[in-house]
Amino acid sequence: MTGKLNVILTALLVASALSLVNARYQARHLFIELDRYQQQARQLDIDWSQLQLDQSTLGKNERIEQIARKDLDMTPLTPARTQYLTEGEK
Amino acid sequence: MKRGTYQTNARVAASKGVAFSKSPVLAVRLPDWRSRLVLVVLFSAFAALGIRALWLQGVSNQFLQKQGKSRYERTLELPATRGKIMDRNGQVLASSLPVKAVWAIPDDVLASPPAKITELARLLEMPEVELRKKLDSDRTFVYLKRQVEMDVIAQIEKLKIDGIDTRKEYKRFYPQGEVMTHLVGFTSVEDVGQESIELAQQKALVGAVGSRRVIKDRLGHIVEDVGQSREPHDGRDITLSVDSKLQYIAFTSVKNAVEKFHAKAGAAVVLDVHTGEVLALANWPTYDPNDRSKLTGEQLRNRVITDTFEPGSTLKPFTVALALDTRRVTPSTLFDTGNGRIQIGDKIVRDTHPHGVIDVSTIIQKSSNIGVSKMALAMPAEEMWNMFTKVGFGQAPRYGFPGAVAGRVRPYKSWRPIEQANMSFGQGISVSLLQLAHSYLIFARDGDIIPLSFQKVTQKPVGQQVISAKTAAQMRAMLETVVLPGGTAVQAQVPGYRVGGKTGTAQKLVNGRYSQTHYVGNFAGMAPMSNPRFVIAVMIDDPTGAIHTGGGVAAPTFAALAANALRAENVPPDSSITDIIIPENSLEESN
Repeated sequence: MTGKLNVILTALLVASALSLVNARYQARHLFIELDRYQQQARQLDIDWSQLQLDQSTLGKNERIEQIARKDLDMTPLTPARTQYLTEGEK
Repeated sequence: MKRGTYQTNARVAASKGVAFSKSPVLAVRLPDWRSRLVLVVLFSAFAALGIRALWLQGVSNQFLQKQGKSRYERTLELPATRGKIMDRNGQVLASSLPVKAVWAIPDDVLASPPAKITELARLLEMPEVELRKKLDSDRTFVYLKRQVEMDVIAQIEKLKIDGIDTRKEYKRFYPQGEVMTHLVGFTSVEDVGQESIELAQQKALVGAVGSRRVIKDRLGHIVEDVGQSREPHDGRDITLSVDSKLQYIAFTSVKNAVEKFHAKAGAAVVLDVHTGEVLALANWPTYDPNDRSKLTGEQLRNRVITDTFEPGSTLKPFTVALALDTRRVTPSTLFDTGNGRIQIGDKIVRDTHPHGVIDVSTIIQKSSNIGVSKMALAMPAEEMWNMFTKVGFGQAPRYGFPGAVAGRVRPYKSWRPIEQANMSFGQGISVSLLQLAHSYLIFARDGDIIPLSFQKVTQKPVGQQVISAKTAAQMRAMLETVVLPGGTAVQAQVPGYRVGGKTGTAQKLVNGRYSQTHYVGNFAGMAPMSNPRFVIAVMIDDPTGAIHTGGGVAAPTFAALAANALRAENVPPDSSITDIIIPENSLEESN
């Protein structure tokens, strides 16, 4: 009787030990994955900052004015050449 | 058998002498305590080992555990990014990006092939001689270059030079460069704010570095978090009140004016009348915050905030407003300014042209020193001092901007009559350009003054009444006459819009005396007059061309700035006059 019980208990112990090993393994895998995604998130943050910076650099008023004046031959408008319309007036 | 006999004989011969058991040396009996001593010594040695083992395992185990942990646990520093600085429309003015510092173990690097070192020098953009000089050091850690951008780092790592390593750090980028730098400021290589907003908001911007403790495996992968981790907190993003477009307009106007009038420097500030926000703050000369290798103090100076000057006639409206508000005069009250000379005490106050008998409105329009002096002398010094104090002159500014100055207004008790007269037209009193612009809010608004802000304002500010709304309206009407034909600042006119303001020309103090050749021309005004939106103040320092008056140098700068600013902000025109022919030589003003 005791012999049988011992066998059962041993089997349970081994099973539990194996499941622990498995759980541990899974946990580590998931953890590494989490870490990778976190790193990706950080990288995307950096890319976002870089793009914002590029936008600001390219959208600089100085640059726009240069391009408008030189490349596109534009001149600033003056009120003398502007037709003003008032909304709601007939 | 014969042989056996021989052997037996030999053995007997060998043992001849003393028998073993009877050896006298061995027969000596050792004392019992000696063997016991050995036993005790041996056992106590074992016991000592046992106790030591117990001690290390059970009681004093921190040290060994720490040593063990240090072999598989690592503390990772989690960096916090410095907050961004943005303009009111969300355009980035300052942002940090990760870069790397390149450092070296000199001996290891010098052992590598010379071709690689030449290549390294090229990548680091420094002469090879300089690189070798840096490597010629006894230390084991030498920074070669800091804040190297990531693409260069990738190339350096490809070279695979022994003893070269990198360390992560951040670099601050300023996309708007010289245009915005006097407002935004810059940081040091250690990410500490050095100037302007970067310095003032250092605490909010910097954030808090976090850390986490992890177990790493053989390959350097993080396997597990252990113990507590501190989350990093990135620095707060700061949204300024400045508008990039207006800032650029102000900057180019100032720059053009300084070049046109051969001035030493120039500055301009634009305020929002309704919120008290600083929409633009421009300085010339300036510098590029991304490359500060040739930075001079002259370029660094923020003339709007940290410089004070005697404003001259731009202060006249305050004396007049006080006289109007206390009902001592009305806009049509007449004053006799005589032949342009009047003696006060032992000094003489002059007008550039004799104006005869004129009313209060004309005193402002023609900028008569005598008229305003007469008005000032009819009022107690204390009331004038109160007026100056209420609009912020001589008061420690509370804008949260480093280096902001209070200016100087002497206590009224020590004012002599001539000094009171001088102050009424802006001499013997010093203010910063920002204070001047701020004070003009009382005319642009309905007589109240609101606090200034460098950050975007979301709540309606609470004003403090200085003069009545009626006085403010009367003052606006007078200030508009200044730019109309017959006024001192016709060049301040803006096509399509009604504007108003006051010019000022002050002689600079050189060695404690008023210079006859060095002037500061300034103009403070508002636009559009029908419903003021902006207060704009312009200062041109030491124009050395033929023209040096506020009306000549600062007024046209104001006009250029206001015209573009109104157009950029889609303010509907409030005047039908769209073509203005401005006479080249406008009426010269006094002072």
